[in-house]
Formats: sequence, structure tokens, C-alpha cells
Amino acid sequence: MQKHSDEALVAYLDGELDHTEQRHVEAWLDADPAVRDRLASLVQSAELVRGAFAEIVNEPVPERLIAAARGETSAGGDTAAAPQEAEILVLRPDKSVAFSPPRRWHFGLAAAAGMFGLMFGGVGTYVGIGMLNPPAPAADRQVAASSATGIWLDNAAASFKLAVNAGDSMLVDVPASNDPREALHKISQSLPQQVRVPDLKPWGLNFRGARLVAVDGRPAAQLVYVTDNKAIGPLTLVIGATKQPDIARTVDRRQDVNLLYWRHQGRAYALVGHTDVGYLWGIANDVAWQLDAI
Amino acid sequence: MRWKHAEAPGRAAERGDPVSTGFSDQLIAVLPRLRRFARGLTGAAAEADDLVQAACERALARAHQFQEGTRFDSWMFRIVQTIWIDQLRAREVRKEDGDVAEDRLGSDAAVRGIEARIALAEVRLAIDRLPPDQRATLMLVTVEGLTYKEAAVVAGVPVGTIMSRLARARIALQQHLDAGGGIRRSAKNAEA
Repeated sequence: MQKHSDEALVAYLDGELDHTEQRHVEAWLDADPAVRDRLASLVQSAELVRGAFAEIVNEPVPERLIAAARGETSAGGDTAAAPQEAEILVLRPDKSVAFSPPRRWHFGLAAAAGMFGLMFGGVGTYVGIGMLNPPAPAADRQVAASSATGIWLDNAAASFKLAVNAGDSMLVDVPASNDPREALHKISQSLPQQVRVPDLKPWGLNFRGARLVAVDGRPAAQLVYVTDNKAIGPLTLVIGATKQPDIARTVDRRQDVNLLYWRHQGRAYALVGHTDVGYLWGIANDVAWQLDAI
Repeated sequence: MRWKHAEAPGRAAERGDPVSTGFSDQLIAVLPRLRRFARGLTGAAAEADDLVQAACERALARAHQFQEGTRFDSWMFRIVQTIWIDQLRAREVRKEDGDVAEDRLGSDAAVRGIEARIALAEVRLAIDRLPPDQRATLMLVTVEGLTYKEAAVVAGVPVGTIMSRLARARIALQQHLDAGGGIRRSAKNAEA
């Protein structure tokens, strides 16, 4: 019985119970203070578990993994594979799985800011991106070389696709609706540079939130904008750091994704979307003007 | 809000382009989460990256098996988990499985520097002590945010099994943390 009770409590926390089961658990919680304490402990431990692994997704991805994802490693390089290859069962199409609703838990703003070193607020809010400070010279040369080969843009396009594929289930590290003050206070203490989140409402684009993404193995800010106007959105604006010389806005393309990118005073920008280049040019003008990025 | 879905890699594979840019792009985009999942499974950064690298290589070789309409990240989680289970079995055969957790966590000096970091290290250590199936379930649901049904697909077990594994994991974790004591203090200090 205790086992079932624990299962019910955990499933309740995870939002996995139907309405009737939820009511049973809530009645149980109402009747027994000890169960409420147990629930509170479970909530706390879940937060600790998420916190223990939160930083990992913001670490620069090792180049060897990016190379492996591109198929640039030899077949014999499967060093970690088991000696006896396992069967990978094919996942069957299941729409309820493919389009599942977002889970109920989210990182709090303070935790997100503390862990990710990144803070975003509503439109017009200043954003500190300390992790985007110019990298070391050797690393910067690497970024420059990578930019030349288009990896930076490959990653910017990939991050855009990830956001688009996630749809309504997309998790943003810092939603647009959060109060930025606490995180801004923390982040401002250690960050010399701040940029603004451009207001793109005149284009019908609403700021959805921000994610810290890996671009060419390094952290970059991805600002996500959404709109009901299928001719324009969704769009993402990726901002990274560079010591490379400024370049004018340049158009590129990855499959069905258009990119307009440029560098200005130590920052690399990429506006990414399915929309046509004409729109991107207009929006980029607006972005550049607002961010003093041209 | 309308979202356009990118082409599934399986479709590209059917055209004879199994390692298309699109497939690699999706793989690269999911790498941070794969690293996190692998870190939770293995408890060690280097071992986790080796695991992810192996998973990437296998995914590219099996790109044609990916089914359009399914989640790419779940497919990759499954590959990571499958390889990891194979590694565990191989270690068991070779009798290499041992007291690695302390070594894994002890190598991260930064973790020990700040009290809050100590708390996180204790959490990771507690997770590392869980049985492999419970550890994987905890990572998939609690950290990666999969639903029970999605986790069941990844693990290849019924939803009820996921539910029971998760409950056991959460309770065991709670007991580990309570026994550690330091977690509570650190968490409270961090809040103060």
C-alpha cells in the first residue's frame, strides 16, 4: 500500500494522474500532514536533481562530439560502444508521444539565471550575456575558422530547427514573462556587457523567451520570436561573441532555413527563419538599429 | 502559433542521404541534452562524452531506422541508454564494475569548492547509487522532462514499470539525501 502511495504521490507531482486520481491524492494530502511533508520533500529533491544537471546543457559541446554528429569520425572510433552491438528497436510513430504537452515543472528564473549566467526579460529589457564575453585568442581563432566553414551558421540553423520542431513544447531557459530583476541584479555584478532584446512587435513578432544554445561548441544566446503570420515567423536571433573583424550583413541558407548574419564590434549575429530574405533584411535592419549592432 | 516541422531524417535516408545535413543538425542540436542524460547515467564527464560519441556514430549508421512522426530526442535517448546498458553488461562480465562513483565525483575539484556545489555533488552521488534502471528513469522523467509514456517508449517497458521505477528512485534518493544531511543544510544556506 505504501508502495502504491509513493507511486501516486510521485505521479501526482509529475502531472501523470487523471482527474479522479488527482482528487484522491489531494484528499489524502488534506487528511494527513505527514503526507504533505513527504510531498514537500519530494518536490525539493526533484528540484535538487534538476539543479544538479542543469549546467551541463550549457557547457560547450566538445568538438569531437560535433564531429561525430557530422559523421566525421571513423567507424572504428566507436570507443565506447559495447563489444557486442545491441539492437536498437525502432520507435513506432505515436502522435501522442510526438506531440506531448509540456511537463509542468520548469526552472525558476533565479535558478535559471544563476545556473545559466543568462537573464532575459520582456521586450526592451536589458540582457546580460556574460558567457558571451570574447573567448581566449586561440579559441577565437577557432571560432573564426569555424565561421569561415559555416559551422557557426550550421549550428544556428540547427538550433532554430530544434525550437521549431518543439513547437508549443519548446522549453525556454528564461521565458519572456518572468520578472528579470533578481537575475538582472545577479548577472550585472559580473558582466561588463549588456545588450537589449529587440522589440519586433512592429513585425508582428512576439518575444517568446531565450535559450542558451551551443553554437560551434560555445554558448550563445538564442532569442525566440513567434507570430501567427506564417509569412514571417517563427524567427530566432542568435548572438555570440567574436574577435573577428566586422562584416556586413550576408545571406546564407541551410536547407529550408534562411540566415542573415553579420559581425559588429565583437559580436556575431544571425537572424534565422523560414521567411524570405526580404523580410530578414528588414527585420535585421530593425535589430541592428535597436542593438546598435551596425 | 504555427510551427513548421523540419524534414525527418528518415525521409532523407530513404532518398539515399542517410547522413544529411538535416540529420546532423538535429543531432548537434540535441547534443547538450544527450550529454546531460549520459552524465546522469555514467556519473562521469569523460565517460558520458564517450557514450554520446558512440551514440552519434550509431545513430548515423541507423538513420534509416528513425521513424517520421516520433521524437528525435527520444530516439537518441534510447540509443544512449541501449549502449550504456551494453557497457554495464560488458563490465559485469569483465568484473570491472566497482567503486567508481567516488572517483568520478572526486575529480571535479570545482564541485567541492562551494557549499552549494557540494550539495549538487551529493545529489549526483545519490543518483549514482541508484540501480541503473531507476537512474535512467529518473533522468528521463525528472531531468529530461519526458512523460511516463515517452519514457516507457525509450526504455522499452510498460508505463506501470516506469511509474514504479520512478517512485522507488525518488524514495531511495530521498533517503540518501536525508542520510547525507548536508543537502538540507546547503539548500537552506543557499536560500538564505
